[in-house]
Amino acid sequence: MATTAVIDTVSQRRPARLPIPQTVRGRYRTIKTAIAWALLAFYFITPWLRWDRGPSLPDQAVLFDLPGRRLFVLGLEFWPQDLPIAVGALVLGAFALFGATALAGRVWCGFTCPQTVWTDLFFTVERFCERLFGKGTLLSRIAKPIAQIALAVLTAFGFAAFFNDAPSLPSALVTGAAPLGAYLAIGILSLTTWLFAAYAKERICLHMCPWPRFQAALLDKDSLVVTYQRWRGEPRGKKKAALRLELNDLTALIREAASFEAGRGDCIDCMRCVNVCPTGVDIRDGLQMGCIGCGLCVDACNEVMAKIERPAGLIRFDVEGSDRAGSLKQEAVRLLRPKTLLYAMLCLFAFGSMAVGITRMESVLLDVEPQRNPPFVQLSDGSVRNDFSFRLAHRLPHLDRVVIRAEGLAGASLRFATGETGQETVALAMPGNRRISDRLFITAAPGQAPSGRASIRVIVTDAESGATLGEVETYFWGPAR
Amino acid sequence: MSKQERDPLTGQLTTGHEWDGIKELRTPIPNWWLITFVVTWVFAIGYLVLYPSFATTKDYARGLLGWSSTKELAEATGRARDQQSAWRTQLLATPLEKIEANEELRRFAMAGGQAAFNENCAGCHGVGAGGQIGQFPSLIDDDWLWGGKVTDIHATIRHGIRDGGDETRLSAMPAFGEILKPEEIAATADFVLSLSDRSRDATRASLPGAALYETNCAACHGAKGEGSRDGGAPRLDDAIWLYGSSREAVIRQVADPKMGQMPAWQSRLDEATIRMLTVYVHTLGGGEK
Ligand code: SF4
Ligand code: SF4
Repeated sequence: MATTAVIDTVSQRRPARLPIPQTVRGRYRTIKTAIAWALLAFYFITPWLRWDRGPSLPDQAVLFDLPGRRLFVLGLEFWPQDLPIAVGALVLGAFALFGATALAGRVWCGFTCPQTVWTDLFFTVERFCERLFGKGTLLSRIAKPIAQIALAVLTAFGFAAFFNDAPSLPSALVTGAAPLGAYLAIGILSLTTWLFAAYAKERICLHMCPWPRFQAALLDKDSLVVTYQRWRGEPRGKKKAALRLELNDLTALIREAASFEAGRGDCIDCMRCVNVCPTGVDIRDGLQMGCIGCGLCVDACNEVMAKIERPAGLIRFDVEGSDRAGSLKQEAVRLLRPKTLLYAMLCLFAFGSMAVGITRMESVLLDVEPQRNPPFVQLSDGSVRNDFSFRLAHRLPHLDRVVIRAEGLAGASLRFATGETGQETVALAMPGNRRISDRLFITAAPGQAPSGRASIRVIVTDAESGATLGEVETYFWGPAR
Repeated sequence: MSKQERDPLTGQLTTGHEWDGIKELRTPIPNWWLITFVVTWVFAIGYLVLYPSFATTKDYARGLLGWSSTKELAEATGRARDQQSAWRTQLLATPLEKIEANEELRRFAMAGGQAAFNENCAGCHGVGAGGQIGQFPSLIDDDWLWGGKVTDIHATIRHGIRDGGDETRLSAMPAFGEILKPEEIAATADFVLSLSDRSRDATRASLPGAALYETNCAACHGAKGEGSRDGGAPRLDDAIWLYGSSREAVIRQVADPKMGQMPAWQSRLDEATIRMLTVYVHTLGGGEK
């Protein structure tokens, strides 16, 4: 187990860590780049997508409408009371993360974590500046912070765009018409983005992030981690001249074998794996907390192995302890294990609950509250009126008019404080914001008012289809007789 | 001053004092603590000089800045009033009947009206404006002693009821206890009570109180008890009885009438606030067009 001991990265880190890691080409770099682009595109483009919800609603596909306390996601509209669905999403996310970790180690860290994606992006931009203006020149020293700050502000803007109408946000920001929250969010996020991705970089993973600390609990002997095949790498030594291809025949192989026997392993100690590592760890020291599992050292080492014509995979994704097997091939991953099956089931369960929750969301909220001061109003013709505060909110695709009636009170007539004189039912045009709140007056005809309290039901129906949208059980008070 | 000496084990300076061979290491107060301490003193002295801070025998020290919470409140309310001034001007410029039609203006008036109502009117009429039987009329029903149009309500609030002044709402009912005999008063009360009972429309004229009512009451309250808002005579043919609907209550009211009073608010509230109150009261449930 000596090779897989978790080593404290802080003390083990090489002091001579490059300020910007070297570039590398290969399988994992390609995967990483593709995922990073996809995630960045998702982040920056999503707020600009449109979704037609009719004239009175925002047409932004994904919009966190904080003043309106609602969240639009494509055809769905979420209200604060739908929070349990968000819990479902969080549970799903957590178990998906645990499951992925059980299978393939820290893939979250290596490929999808925003800290990784943005740090990678910032490294790329800084390398680009150095290529453009030369390493350490005055120009590149000026260009880098400008590019960093620009990226940070852009990132913060991307965040604010989820909470505001994205196309009109830039001009609103410039003219000062944007809400205060937008300025605050952009200010704070610019600062944190710069701090995390331009200044702290891998230090976030090494010192701040709790996730690496759980790894020991989440990984098992079947999880893929980045391994250094010590059995064939050691002892390290300077490479002798590479064999020319045409010479690579049986004799050469025998000679190679001889040199192996003579004491040198496959690792030529070129430090490429360390120099490409975004967190600057030396994976040859074994699995350690600082390794985020990005696979860049695998690519780097495979490049080197190809050059010195040795088989690839001296550093490779493999299970912990694979080193002892002494095999050139990666061990087959066991996909179906009790642990992964359990995670998969929990994911399915969380997803199922979410789906059920979404299909069962209430589309209409109705609230009819008696105003108890005074409990009833005596009118001059002998009828008795009760006043209610009436609130109705809906998220139906369209609803033009609703009809409100009261049941349980003979000869009741209804009207709104702002409306015309009483009828058996009142019709109400739903205004653009899909919420109304008004005082509802329900009047019992002379002699019909109950003595004391009586139960009534206020029922709201769609004026077009006649479908019941909601009903509320409440009380009607009359003078005691 | 004692001689500087270093502790050989820790390499730290000692205080130089010695008790039976025991020496104490010099561990001074950390700088951050010292600086914080000094800063708190500087702050405290600055505060003492600039702000009201201690009492003198008869008064208190005002501080160089002359700050006071009263002044701050006055400034804040002044600022709030400035912010509202556009609305208030508009409220004053809009004819009373048109205020409610303007949605934004109505909302402003309702908000301000509710605040003013709770502060000035709720004491008698109640927070819900339901009034109190035997004392103060309800403002949310459909019966108005002095008229329920915005202009009527406005005039009532401005000039009050029986509150002196040239334009105040004024009416007086004689105390019939000094004019009529008790049985006559009872007969009149029976007749008055019958006015709101539609089923007795045909038979009412034969009641003993009919003639008494005709001579003594009809001039103000109308032949059928329909009342007169101009004269301030309440309706007697409806179901609303400010001073009670029992026979005893009506007899009492005929013999020795209670007549409510309401202060004229124009001397206490500004016109914009009175207009807000008007709109608020008018929309409570009984406002007339
Ligand atoms: S890249 Fe490969 S050969 Fe080079 S030092 Fe690292 S392990 Fe050794
Ligand atoms: S050691 Fe390798 S896999 Fe781990 S973070 Fe560094 S480059 Fe990525």
